[in-house]
Amino acid sequence: MKHANGRVMFSRMLALMALMALALLVSCSKNKGTNEESNAAETKATPVDKSQVGTVEGTVNFTGTKPTPKKIDMSQDPVCAKKGENTVETVMGNAQGLQNVFVYVKDGFNGTADAPTTSVTIDQEGCRYHPHVLGVMAGQTIQIKNDDNTTHNIHPTPAADSGNREWNESQGPGAPPLEKSFGRPEVMLPVKCNQHPWMKMYINVAKNPYFAVTDADGKFNIKDLPPGDYTLAAVHESMGEQTQKVHLDPKGAQTVTFTFGGAGSSGGK
Amino acid sequence: MATQIPDDDPITSKSYALPYLIASVVLIGTLLWALWDENYAQRPWKAYQDEFVHRYSAFLKTAVSQSGKDQDRLKNSAEYKQLEADYNAAVATGDAQVKQIKKEAAEVDAHLAAVQAVFTDAKARMGADTYSVETGTFDQDNGRVDEKEHVKQVSDLNQDKQKPNYEVDYPGEKGKKYSYVQLEEKYNELRLEKADYVTRLAAAMKPQNEAKAKMDQYVTDRLTSLAPAQIQGIQQKYESWYPQIRQVNVLDTTGPIPGSLIVDRCESCHMGTREPLTLTAAAMTPSGQKPDQYSRAFVSHPSPELLQIHDPERFGCSPCHNGNGRATTSMEKAHGEYEHWLWPLYHTDRKRGNSGNIEAGCQTCHASDMFLATNSGVGATINEGKYMFQLRGCMGCHRYEGYDREPEELTAATQTIRQLEADIKDNTHQIEILRKKADDPNISNQEAEHYNQLAEALLITNSKNAGQIETLDLRSRSLLRDVKKIGPNLKEIRAKLNKNWIPVWIHKPTDFRPSTRMPNFRLNDDQVRSIAAYLWQTAIPDQVQHAPAGNAEHGRDLFMARGCMACHSVGEGSQMVGGPYANLTRVGEKVSYDYLVRWIKNPRQRLRPYCPYEKKDIGPEDYAKKGLAYVFDADHSKCPNDGHELQWQQTTIMPILRLSDQDAADIATFLMTEKTKDPASYADASFMDDPKLKETGKTWIRQFGCAGCHEISGFEDEGRIGTELTVEGSKPIERLDFALLTIPAQRGVEPFKDPGLKQLDASITDSNIILSRLPEGPAAGDWYTLKGFFEHKLAMPNIYDKGKIKGDMEKLRMPDPHLNPEQIRALVTFLLGSQETSLPDQYQYKPQDYRHDIQEGWWVVQKYGCMNCHQFTPGQKTVLMDLPQYKDSPEKLPPKLLTEGARVDPDWLLKFLNDPSLTGGKADNNRNGVRPYLDVRMPTFNLSPEELRKLVRFFQAMSRQPMPYIPQKPDVLTAKEVEMGRSLFSSQAAPCLKCHATGDAAHDKTATAPNFLLAKERLKPGWAERWIIDPQSISPGTAMPSGLFRDEKLPPVPPNTEPRDHWVFNGPLPPSFAGYTDDQTKLLVRYIFQLTPEEQRAVSSRMPKAAPAAGAKSSAVKRQAAGSSGAR
Repeated sequence: MKHANGRVMFSRMLALMALMALALLVSCSKNKGTNEESNAAETKATPVDKSQVGTVEGTVNFTGTKPTPKKIDMSQDPVCAKKGENTVETVMGNAQGLQNVFVYVKDGFNGTADAPTTSVTIDQEGCRYHPHVLGVMAGQTIQIKNDDNTTHNIHPTPAADSGNREWNESQGPGAPPLEKSFGRPEVMLPVKCNQHPWMKMYINVAKNPYFAVTDADGKFNIKDLPPGDYTLAAVHESMGEQTQKVHLDPKGAQTVTFTFGGAGSSGGK
Repeated sequence: MATQIPDDDPITSKSYALPYLIASVVLIGTLLWALWDENYAQRPWKAYQDEFVHRYSAFLKTAVSQSGKDQDRLKNSAEYKQLEADYNAAVATGDAQVKQIKKEAAEVDAHLAAVQAVFTDAKARMGADTYSVETGTFDQDNGRVDEKEHVKQVSDLNQDKQKPNYEVDYPGEKGKKYSYVQLEEKYNELRLEKADYVTRLAAAMKPQNEAKAKMDQYVTDRLTSLAPAQIQGIQQKYESWYPQIRQVNVLDTTGPIPGSLIVDRCESCHMGTREPLTLTAAAMTPSGQKPDQYSRAFVSHPSPELLQIHDPERFGCSPCHNGNGRATTSMEKAHGEYEHWLWPLYHTDRKRGNSGNIEAGCQTCHASDMFLATNSGVGATINEGKYMFQLRGCMGCHRYEGYDREPEELTAATQTIRQLEADIKDNTHQIEILRKKADDPNISNQEAEHYNQLAEALLITNSKNAGQIETLDLRSRSLLRDVKKIGPNLKEIRAKLNKNWIPVWIHKPTDFRPSTRMPNFRLNDDQVRSIAAYLWQTAIPDQVQHAPAGNAEHGRDLFMARGCMACHSVGEGSQMVGGPYANLTRVGEKVSYDYLVRWIKNPRQRLRPYCPYEKKDIGPEDYAKKGLAYVFDADHSKCPNDGHELQWQQTTIMPILRLSDQDAADIATFLMTEKTKDPASYADASFMDDPKLKETGKTWIRQFGCAGCHEISGFEDEGRIGTELTVEGSKPIERLDFALLTIPAQRGVEPFKDPGLKQLDASITDSNIILSRLPEGPAAGDWYTLKGFFEHKLAMPNIYDKGKIKGDMEKLRMPDPHLNPEQIRALVTFLLGSQETSLPDQYQYKPQDYRHDIQEGWWVVQKYGCMNCHQFTPGQKTVLMDLPQYKDSPEKLPPKLLTEGARVDPDWLLKFLNDPSLTGGKADNNRNGVRPYLDVRMPTFNLSPEELRKLVRFFQAMSRQPMPYIPQKPDVLTAKEVEMGRSLFSSQAAPCLKCHATGDAAHDKTATAPNFLLAKERLKPGWAERWIIDPQSISPGTAMPSGLFRDEKLPPVPPNTEPRDHWVFNGPLPPSFAGYTDDQTKLLVRYIFQLTPEEQRAVSSRMPKAAPAAGAKSSAVKRQAAGSSGAR
């Protein structure tokens, strides 16, 4: 009997300890929570605090001879063949600039950022994708339009280990836009149309809002980046990824140059 | 009278204090010891339980608040608010009615209660009266009923029933009088009323109940964890927890002696195993601490889906995990890790983050399975082990129930045939006797008829036996066809190989090809020379036809495209890509080009057929004697000498790719370029012609069991030389021969660290290579266990010869299979699980229903490497999938077979598997039957009827389809429906023929899907409809897009409450569809199933055509566009 009482006492003590431990746990996790919140608040506040953010801009260059864009045979679908020139979508850009390079902050940004509520658009027109390389944040809505008088199917094929899901949906002429999003970061996620085998584009899903795609001159501009030390990465669909370390002062501006190809290079595939 | 007490009276004068003290000290000591023992020494699980309750309670507190937050969040959502509003509205609407019914009901209830009180009594009394009337008029003396009296009493009773003898006190009206008959009527009437208002109330409450259910469902559907109320329930359970043994006790209901089959007390410590919340080690660690042994012991079972199919209440824990389930006194004992327990716990390898040998437990009951398919990926190791045992040819030397069973079954079939033939003979004799008896003039017709009947029955028996013999004959033919050897046929080496290369290879295969499946035999030069000489001298001297040279470049393309690399690999080491069978990197150094061309064209083609009856390779001379052409194949499979079934094909699993002669030559030419040195540079090996070496060679071939994997002249009937391994995991440790390593093993000495390994195997250059094969690294302690034995044996099979002086014939024979640690881990897992279990038979997974077909099918699937190309289970990797040429074009891969049985008609499947070109045996079969647009080729496997049957049944069973399948005839399309179907089929929003092949070569250049004309015979209509609705859910990643149809829900038809599906085309529709209420998917499927070649051509010709004809066809495009815009 006494023993049993002792046990009750013991378990009460245990309960008390557990309660204390729990209280501690709760308070700890609460603290953590507030930390996270403040972090989030910080990143959310970043655009507001214009005095602190800076800009990283630059150029992606290509050394070597740019191949002339390959002709493609669109004859299997006369609707496509009617429209414009038949060259592959892989555009290299003007002069030394390399177009369609996805430049993003790969490391160094540890805050959290919500996906923008605005959507980005992929347009299928002339049986080609516009744009050919797209940057989007994880969770951000992608609107896919079909402006052709033919049926396309949109078929992203994420890498097997990316955690993103594969899908494949038909979109007839005049069909309403599809709205989709990808949940996990992945670079150069290929998208294709099974009915028009030449159609190919790449979606880049970023974990933060600091990314850009180079224009025809190979230029890019990443705005509103909070100060810090970052790893900036530039990735091209066939020539892979390069990284550079960048330090950004408050209100700073940095210029970064990436160079793809190289003297002995044949200029990609 | 008082007596003087003597001075020295021991009772008064002697003190007992000391004995009492000692006794009480002993008693208290015993009490303390008992308490200590009770709480700690003998009950270590109590500490676990205290700790668990402590930690779990803490966890539950956070869980409940989190769940509460989730629930609040859900309840604040707009959807929930809407549902709540719906509910309130429903309550408001129905409230008045409900109240009214309830009011009426209360009244009826009160009346019923009042009537019932009286009626129950009245009924009992009436029953008693009736009984006394029935029995009272019976005169026991003369055993007769006094009829007059009886009639009178019955009439009295009936009159009594009419009298108003009963008073009922209603709530408002006291003393209402009823006769019995009236009372009964009233009672029944009230009961009917009650039933009526119950129904009415239910109907009135239905809207609000449903609304409430929806509200609750909304929350339960969206809560990822348990609801707060459920968690509080668990909390209460553990608030008043008192330590107790938790056990699973499975009673034996089958055996002769009643008792327990399984007593597992594991959950006395592992309390979290089956908790409804998922417990991780981190969750069970007090905050701020690192996970300790308690945290790891308290986690949930990591594969709850396995527990669902292996209910712990029936299976316990130890049948899968091993260990001593009854033991509770220490962890070592419970885990069975002490010398008096034979089955220690299987462990995961936490250090390396793999599953260790834990899946050995699967094998104990799943020995009949070749492949265990789980959604969670559990079973990967044991599957690998099972597969390695086959792939590396272990079964060539070691018998293992289930593996390579064809030869055994062949013998059994032959024996049964003999038995049946004997029976037929006996019966024939009996029939004669019976007929003679029947013809005896001295017996009656009846008797004669009896004898005739017996004779007739025996006749029928004989005819049944004859039928069975025929079946067995066919089965024997099948089995002979299914016999496969892991290695090549060595009777053909004269035609096939570079002679000088042979001794180099035999000496140490891995020197030539590191990734070969052939093990290293540690042969000395004499052994190599004599073995090579025997093989060379006994080989068939025939030569093969000379083949013209081909185009290596084209051969290379074909090699990459046709799917050769699903099975074969090229490159070595980190450069190696391709499948698990022969690596072809240096094939150009060893083979003859002519033989290679012939092989690629038809790998099943033998130089000479073998007659197992005569035990002879049959040559053209034997055929010539009988005037027969020298032809042997599936249709010419009888021996010309004695009519017995021949082994007419190579015993390889390599299928026929149906290549043209030119393609075969091109591939061979390419392969001949795969070499690192000139074949002519091999040292001369003319010693192989020395007849003196032959006999010695024969001895060594027998000693090393070469015939386990190869066909060798003179060794056709050679048995297996190794130990049977079916129940190897049950062997007591003493029966495993550790030899001189027994003591070192017990002391935990690692023999592979010994630099003297070279004495055991001269070819070992670096003992670290052997050491690195151990799955869990060098022994860190006692490895005198089955696991330790197997791991060391597989890493270096002759390690147990260490320190022994033996002659060449006495040495351990097992060759070095040069496995990597993962392969060893898989094989050891397989062997550890290979146990004779004490559990009764019903625990063995030997299903008799459709699952049996699945079980049998996997053996065939694994035997031929089907999974190298096809995906059978979700998430399964194929070899081709990982090849670079398919990275960007997964649609060029062979089809996924995830729901093949639901997709295809089994009769068609049988036809297809027999001839994947679907050409019906025509010579021009250089193509795929279903998917001509794929470069990768579905080859012809020459499957026997037996294996074809198994495969077809397997696919049907995998999709739970009935066998045989009786196709439903689709409703014939009306003319209008044809028009409508055609408009869908050729709609611009679903241009089917844009991707699907039509048989027109120009069109099919860009086709990426099968021809619709196959559909009728090949597909099941239900599947076809599900496919066109959502192909991605049937074959994820397929080129066929989803979203062609959309579901326009229709209102429910009572009594159903769910809206009906109504599938409508997701694009512009022509006006003819107005008012069409059937599913448009069904219409399209019916159209496709009734498609004729003419119709397909007609539709195809109206499709917008390729650019050169654009000018002529642009009007067609315009017309279509106009048509569709008109429909919009």
